[in-house]
Amino acid sequence: MVNKRAERLFAIIIVLYLLIIVFPFIWVGITSFKPESEIWGTEALNVFSSNSTMEHYLALFKANILNSLKNSLIISSITTLYVTFVASCCAYAIARLKFIGKNLLLAVVLATSMFPQMIVVGPIYNIFVKLGWTNSYFITLPYSMITLPVAIFILVTHFAKVPKEMEESASIDGASKMRTFIKIILPLALPGIFTAAIITFIGVWNEFLLSLTLNSDSNYHTATVAISFLRGQFQIFWGQVTAATMVVTIPTLIIVILFQKQIISGLTSGAVKE
Amino acid sequence: MSKILKFFDRHLAYVMIIPAIILILLFSILPILESTRYAFFDFQLNDQKKSGIYMTSNYNMPLSDETFEYIDYYLEIEAATVQKADTIQYINRMRDDIKGYQLNLKSILGSQTGVVETSRENIQVIQAINKDIKFAIDLLYSMDDVFYSEEDMQAVASELETCIIESNFIGLDNFKQILSDPRVIYTLSITLIFTFISVFCELLLGLALALIMNKAMKGRGLIRTFSLIPWAIPTSVAALMWSYLYNGSSGIVATAFSNIGLIGQPTELLLTAKAALGSIIMADVWKTTPYMALLILAGLQVIPNALYESSSLDGANKIMQFRHITLPLLKPSILVALLFRTLDAFRVFDLIWVLTGGGPGGTTESISVYAYKVMFAQTRFGYGSAMVLIMAIAVGMISYAYIKILDVKLIGE
Repeated sequence: MVNKRAERLFAIIIVLYLLIIVFPFIWVGITSFKPESEIWGTEALNVFSSNSTMEHYLALFKANILNSLKNSLIISSITTLYVTFVASCCAYAIARLKFIGKNLLLAVVLATSMFPQMIVVGPIYNIFVKLGWTNSYFITLPYSMITLPVAIFILVTHFAKVPKEMEESASIDGASKMRTFIKIILPLALPGIFTAAIITFIGVWNEFLLSLTLNSDSNYHTATVAISFLRGQFQIFWGQVTAATMVVTIPTLIIVILFQKQIISGLTSGAVKE
Repeated sequence: MSKILKFFDRHLAYVMIIPAIILILLFSILPILESTRYAFFDFQLNDQKKSGIYMTSNYNMPLSDETFEYIDYYLEIEAATVQKADTIQYINRMRDDIKGYQLNLKSILGSQTGVVETSRENIQVIQAINKDIKFAIDLLYSMDDVFYSEEDMQAVASELETCIIESNFIGLDNFKQILSDPRVIYTLSITLIFTFISVFCELLLGLALALIMNKAMKGRGLIRTFSLIPWAIPTSVAALMWSYLYNGSSGIVATAFSNIGLIGQPTELLLTAKAALGSIIMADVWKTTPYMALLILAGLQVIPNALYESSSLDGANKIMQFRHITLPLLKPSILVALLFRTLDAFRVFDLIWVLTGGGPGGTTESISVYAYKVMFAQTRFGYGSAMVLIMAIAVGMISYAYIKILDVKLIGE
């Protein structure tokens, strides 16, 4: 049977695909438990080490990685909270309310999401230096530049899906527009808001350019920047690098596994016309 | 109270969009305009005379006061050590003269302090004064006598020129320089090669994988979760991970490539230009193909099954179905995915910054990496901004082309 054979071929391709995705993690994970002496030289490619060790993970506690994870968590959480709030309001107005300049606003939001971030880094850096805001959590403010447009787009599609009858019956009952939004629309759009929040969180967690530029003091490094500095100029301690990679990756993995559905709906909400 | 609430309610739409507009204005639009302004100036943070945006000429008053004080101080020292009465007389006259010049200067510029903005004519007058002072100093040291502080005096006197900050507006010079900067041409071509090859591979592989995933019956949830992982991990972490796999002395991928003869020695992978660029592209394909596949899969899933059923009743085979049903209906999803991927690839920064740092020898620098180095390593913000501006225009053209081809509104009303 041709179909059976095709199915088997597809299954093999899928398995191969999954293997290619996870292979780097597995190999990096294996290395992170090897003593430094076995990471180099002839033993470098052995899968199992007879002298497994936790030394690299223990060394990370002394290094700044944990502090940088804390920074990342604080910065990502603050940004997610206020961006989701601002985007929800804006998206509801776009999806449901009438106002002058709606198309212009949409065009501006779309355009800012397409501009290379590199264009804002110089001026924002100079302003931050003038205000003394470098190396602080003020970095959450310019993060709106990367996250706000995406959050707005996700939320517009979700608010548009809430049935119009809900609002109409509320307004017949004499509820104000604001009350309708808070009491009726928000609860119904909660899954969408949650999706936008997760996508925002991941976006900020993964950001590199602004963080590298504005928070150059190692006490204010976020995880993505701190980890890039582990690769020194002359000497690289792969043991620590691989251990740090595992530590930084785990929060992401947890988020992906828990919120798989929301993430996919967020990623595809702009791309697929329903 | 209720009046305020009523006002809010009547204008709810505006109240709701204002926070977003303020953020977009402050952190997107204003910085973009500011960057555009930088591009027309020779703005360099590490050069005292160019470390700001000066549309007009300026004079550095504190530095000037300090310089005059020092000149007087050294003249006093010389007066105490010279031998001839003539020289002492000359120096004393000179000290009075210079004090007169300083007063003259202050009367021209008014009573302002700090860095004073002034006209081009005034600057010319000041330059003439500076010349006179320089001439007087040179004359003093040409006299036949014993001096001890000539070097110090000349160094201090040269500061008088530094006090003058001329406008660093240079019009289109930055752009002219970019067009003839070989490194811009090179990094731009690297960026285009990277963008073209990686997006092409990601599209082909993503399309194939999406078609297969769509057929897969078992484990769809698992496949999706796995596909999200490379997209979700930070690019800098992925880059670091791959730099370990690629490294010449213990990297498993480098060793494998050398064993199957793709490269000579494992160390060549990151130390030769072409192989390093290939490695970057491979890491990008690994990170983004699953994302592409997910986007295309979502597009596949909204194609109604009835279309396939009725066409197969009409005798259409799988290939015909793919060409006449799947591809046309998938076109919008593919184009949107392509647009976002192309823009992302074109501004690639983190991946290259962490994986190769632009090396070996600058051969894998993308235009973003070069612009960043110009701005933050050389602190030439004017030139860097001009480069980024050209990049933004290119991005605009790419988007415009895609949206024209797409011919659909990205967001339905």
